[in-house]
Amino acid sequence: MNKMVTITVDGARIETPEGMNVLEAALEAGICIPNLCYIPSVTPLGACRVCIVEVVQNGRSKMTASCTLEAKEGMVIRAHSEDIIRARRNIVELLLAEAPNSRAIQDLAARVGVTRVRYPMRNNSCVLCGRCVRVCDEIWQSKSLGFVGRGRNRHVALPFNKRPEFCKRCNACIDLCPMTITPCPGPMKEPAVCGLCGSQLSMAEDTPDTCVWCELGRGFQCARWQLKGVLNTT
Amino acid sequence: MELATLDQILEGKGKEPFDVIEVLQDIQQTYRYLPEDALCRVSEKLGIPLIEVFRLANFYKAFTLKPRGRHLLTVCMGTACHVRGALRFLDEVLFQLAVQPGETTEDGAFTVETVNCVGACALAPVVILDGKYYDHMTPRKLRDLLNSAREKDKGGL
Ligand code: SF4
Ligand code: SF4
Ligand code: FES
Ligand code: FES
Repeated sequence: MNKMVTITVDGARIETPEGMNVLEAALEAGICIPNLCYIPSVTPLGACRVCIVEVVQNGRSKMTASCTLEAKEGMVIRAHSEDIIRARRNIVELLLAEAPNSRAIQDLAARVGVTRVRYPMRNNSCVLCGRCVRVCDEIWQSKSLGFVGRGRNRHVALPFNKRPEFCKRCNACIDLCPMTITPCPGPMKEPAVCGLCGSQLSMAEDTPDTCVWCELGRGFQCARWQLKGVLNTT
Repeated sequence: MELATLDQILEGKGKEPFDVIEVLQDIQQTYRYLPEDALCRVSEKLGIPLIEVFRLANFYKAFTLKPRGRHLLTVCMGTACHVRGALRFLDEVLFQLAVQPGETTEDGAFTVETVNCVGACALAPVVILDGKYYDHMTPRKLRDLLNSAREKDKGGL
């Protein structure tokens, strides 16, 4: 049997097998730490930084991505401190400016309480989360696509920009891409924020025990919890 | 110079994944660009995913996936050269050759590329034609340079 380690997330003591990362441990225990680039059983990349948490050590805390943080005995994690909520909102705001036409990102925004976007809109069709690249490589052993280019020209591409014959046409890359889940066509209040249409927010508020059903993290009772925190702090 | 064929390159150089850069360099030298078929062969031969080979070819500026002309004209756009009018000079180059940076002239003679400082700032503005540095460039000098390169081209063929 695996050795277990005990960590504390937002005050809750969690037992988790050694070698798990903090994000997995928390999700398993029903504590939702919002995340975007993480895919269960695929090597975490730490690309989106949405899953940041504070690790408290010797009275000091430092922020880091929880999906790339291995759970160690006695770790104390704050996943929803004020600092984290603020930082995470900022990160999601940047994502939203990058790609507002994604349901997954709009969900994230609603979940972490982003109500405006202060950054210039880019309207890109990719946020470089690397979900497609990793699933193709690790689950399908196909390596049909990958990151190409450097700096601001880094992008996901197929070799010579056409589908290679060894692509298995499993469509996993497309299914897992946060950009392929299009948001509802309702009006956006701010040029970029659609979570404000109310349905998600009010659902989370009126009906206890329902989360916003964010597309990427379905089923965790996280949103209500977090929105409450948001409503209290703003 | 004897140029090796793709098979010779693949036979000659090692067959380990870490030899890939060397192999790509040889291919680039032989063909003046990296042809798609060649990269597919490299991927098979060295056992590297095609996307990795493609990524490398994109990452290094020394590699191109588009055929290059017989002569490579590199225009320095670094700070010193910029101050000495590299921007206007580049316009001149593009005008004389009727191409855009990164493109090749219709006759396949010249490819123009820009670069940020080649470490010869005292000679600004600098251009490099096929590895040879030309200093204090002016539109006139450029015309002469291109003409003599064209002459040699004709003589050589
Ligand atoms: S459809 Fe092709 S490119 Fe996409 S994950 Fe499957 S094998 Fe990879
Ligand atoms: S294409 Fe989609 S899944 Fe792939 S990196 Fe971009 S946003 Fe992520
Ligand atoms: S989920 Fe951890 S950085 Fe993206
Ligand atoms: S700026 Fe052109 S050589 Fe340095």
